[in-house]
Amino acid sequence: MSRAWKSPVALRDTAPTLSGSQQSLPFTEPLPPPQALSLTPTPVRRLWFCIYLPNLPLEACRTSDEALAIVEEQHGIYRVLQTDSLAAAAGVMPGQSSNAALALLPTLKLEERSPVREQQLLERLATWLERFSSFVSIASKDVLLLEIAGSLRLFGGLPKLRQAIAQGLDEQGFSTAMAIAPTPLGATCLARAGRRVCIRAEENLASALRALPLDCLHWPEGQRAALAGMGIKHIGDCLRLPREGFARRFGAERLLELDRALGHLPDPRDSWRAPERFCADFEMSEEQSDRELLLNICHELLLSHEQFLLARQLGTQRLCFSFFHLKGPATELWLGSALADRSATRWFDLLKIRFDTLRLQAAVIAVRLRSGLSQPLQAETGKLGFYLKDGKQRRRYSIAQLAERLIARIGDQSVNTMNIVAEHRPEYAFCLQHPLSDWSVTTLASSSDLQRPLWMLPEPALLPADGAYPLHKGCRLTLLDGPERLETGWWDERGVSRDYYTALNGAGMRLWIFRNRQRKPDWYLHGIFG
Amino acid sequence: MSLSKLLENPRVWRGSSRTDRRTGLASGYPALDRCLPGGGWPQETLTEILIGQYGMGELRLLVPALAELSAENALSHHGEPTEPGWIAWVAPPFQPYAPALQQCGIDLSRMLVVRPKDDSELLWSAEQALSSGTCAAVLLWPEVLDDQASRRLQLAAEKGHSWAIAFRPLSARHQPSAAALRLELQSTGQGTHVHILKSRGGRPTVLNNLL
Repeated sequence: MSRAWKSPVALRDTAPTLSGSQQSLPFTEPLPPPQALSLTPTPVRRLWFCIYLPNLPLEACRTSDEALAIVEEQHGIYRVLQTDSLAAAAGVMPGQSSNAALALLPTLKLEERSPVREQQLLERLATWLERFSSFVSIASKDVLLLEIAGSLRLFGGLPKLRQAIAQGLDEQGFSTAMAIAPTPLGATCLARAGRRVCIRAEENLASALRALPLDCLHWPEGQRAALAGMGIKHIGDCLRLPREGFARRFGAERLLELDRALGHLPDPRDSWRAPERFCADFEMSEEQSDRELLLNICHELLLSHEQFLLARQLGTQRLCFSFFHLKGPATELWLGSALADRSATRWFDLLKIRFDTLRLQAAVIAVRLRSGLSQPLQAETGKLGFYLKDGKQRRRYSIAQLAERLIARIGDQSVNTMNIVAEHRPEYAFCLQHPLSDWSVTTLASSSDLQRPLWMLPEPALLPADGAYPLHKGCRLTLLDGPERLETGWWDERGVSRDYYTALNGAGMRLWIFRNRQRKPDWYLHGIFG
Repeated sequence: MSLSKLLENPRVWRGSSRTDRRTGLASGYPALDRCLPGGGWPQETLTEILIGQYGMGELRLLVPALAELSAENALSHHGEPTEPGWIAWVAPPFQPYAPALQQCGIDLSRMLVVRPKDDSELLWSAEQALSSGTCAAVLLWPEVLDDQASRRLQLAAEKGHSWAIAFRPLSARHQPSAAALRLELQSTGQGTHVHILKSRGGRPTVLNNLL
């Protein structure tokens, strides 16, 4: 990179040896090198927070408080990989065969290691950690890295940030080892070695790393054994070896790794990005049909949904709960909201209304919450708590919330707003709108001289006729007004040709009727002047 | 027991105490306004309109008041400007026809039509709409409305500062109701008569050929 802007300087140095024609050119000062800014970026000091989860296999499988051991198949035999404190107290130790472990503690629960669940847990944790940093990385199957230099100011300094992360992890029941260092690999090594240290300056990193055992680099077993055979047990010993020989014997990759750990080489990492749509499951160990319990589970899911959207400043308009049964298809429950929202309380209110009427044909084994398309949340202006003179708050909730509640209880198609359409045919002159999708109403200028009834029949009703006179409820109608001829719509299938009249029946009802001019000249009732 | 002590008893209801405090919403029919205490439709209450059949002018009777409620810069009955309210139609027997409503001056962007499946849902929806505080008026067409349900609607209307209007058949005339105002519409060939059957703070009257 630096060569690129040095070249004009090199040209000037060689200029006197060039031919005469070129020499006669007026000498101009070469352009100053382009600002060094873009070429040698000012070093950004980074700080990596490493979270090492040594007990992840155990934590991923823990569902109850019983003594638990995680087993893994090794050469055809299931051997204990990790134990919890209860099992360890009974003498169960890693490396034992599963039979030996059961002999020591017959009530011991054995679970096979589940890499899938570990990965899910790790991703969940990474998603949770996104609130502390914009850069979270899943470094390996038990290591998470956060870049925290950019977060220090927001969280009020390193001690507070560290405290917040440690406390959160503790509350979620993870046993962790944490370390902070200027390089990701350095922080990882320190955390794996169990050093709860915080190294902020790069100069102090080397001395701290030198003292670490080689195990924390997770190199292949054979190389570690070879190095141990040479009497090399610490990273510092490795660094003292001649680089060339080291690279030849153990591969250049190992050398580069050490350089990256010390910060001599850049170490780019992949940033974890949680999926944009929320989807979470809650699995139960046995089937449940207690509705109260299911509601509580849904609430838990909604809370994590809220956290998920909060981290992205998003909201959603649709949610779907799936209740899985052991047999048969899952029961689905859709919730809709007029405005994008993430508040768990509000969604929970809607859920409660719907849940009352939900019929579950069998007991439930798992609940899944999926969110619909998320969208940036429209922030609402905060309202000051103005109260009326009589001390009562006037507005409990907005019309959008009212519509949501009504829809949640009585169904999607049952709540409408209405609007008019520029159309002569009376049955098409209005439209019903879904209140959650479209609130905008374009008001058309109305032609106010035409008589229109306040009630419209869903379909024109055929009226019996006595000769040329229409009948309604057995008596002749008196025509008051009309005709108003409508002959339109020939361009589509539903063209009309009608003469509309206002009529009065014996009981004093004013009706809006028409006579069809097209085929049979029948009379129809179309509306009532309410 | 002295008279003043007796009057302190909350169970004693005095006819004159509430009438002047509340002003009604002008109905658009001066003859009707004169007969109603407060000079118009009583707000924050339940009004019942008994009709023999649909289309007797029951909507025409209400439309001027609804237009007033849905209009921008409407004044509340306290005299302060309020936000225009929504008008909810719960279980209307037919489709309220938007072009006609607009001709009458009703703001269409503030109409909400709710079609519940049964009467319990109807009452629930009406109660929700009334107590939400966003609906200025809730019109409902229940199949049956017992005393308890009418009391609940009355309370919801008070809570949400709204106005409930229930349309009921003529047979409901002899059923007890908590409504503050009960009207009966009777139609003849010449015009529609309005009977004020019950009016809190007022007295029963017959208005001939009002509509």
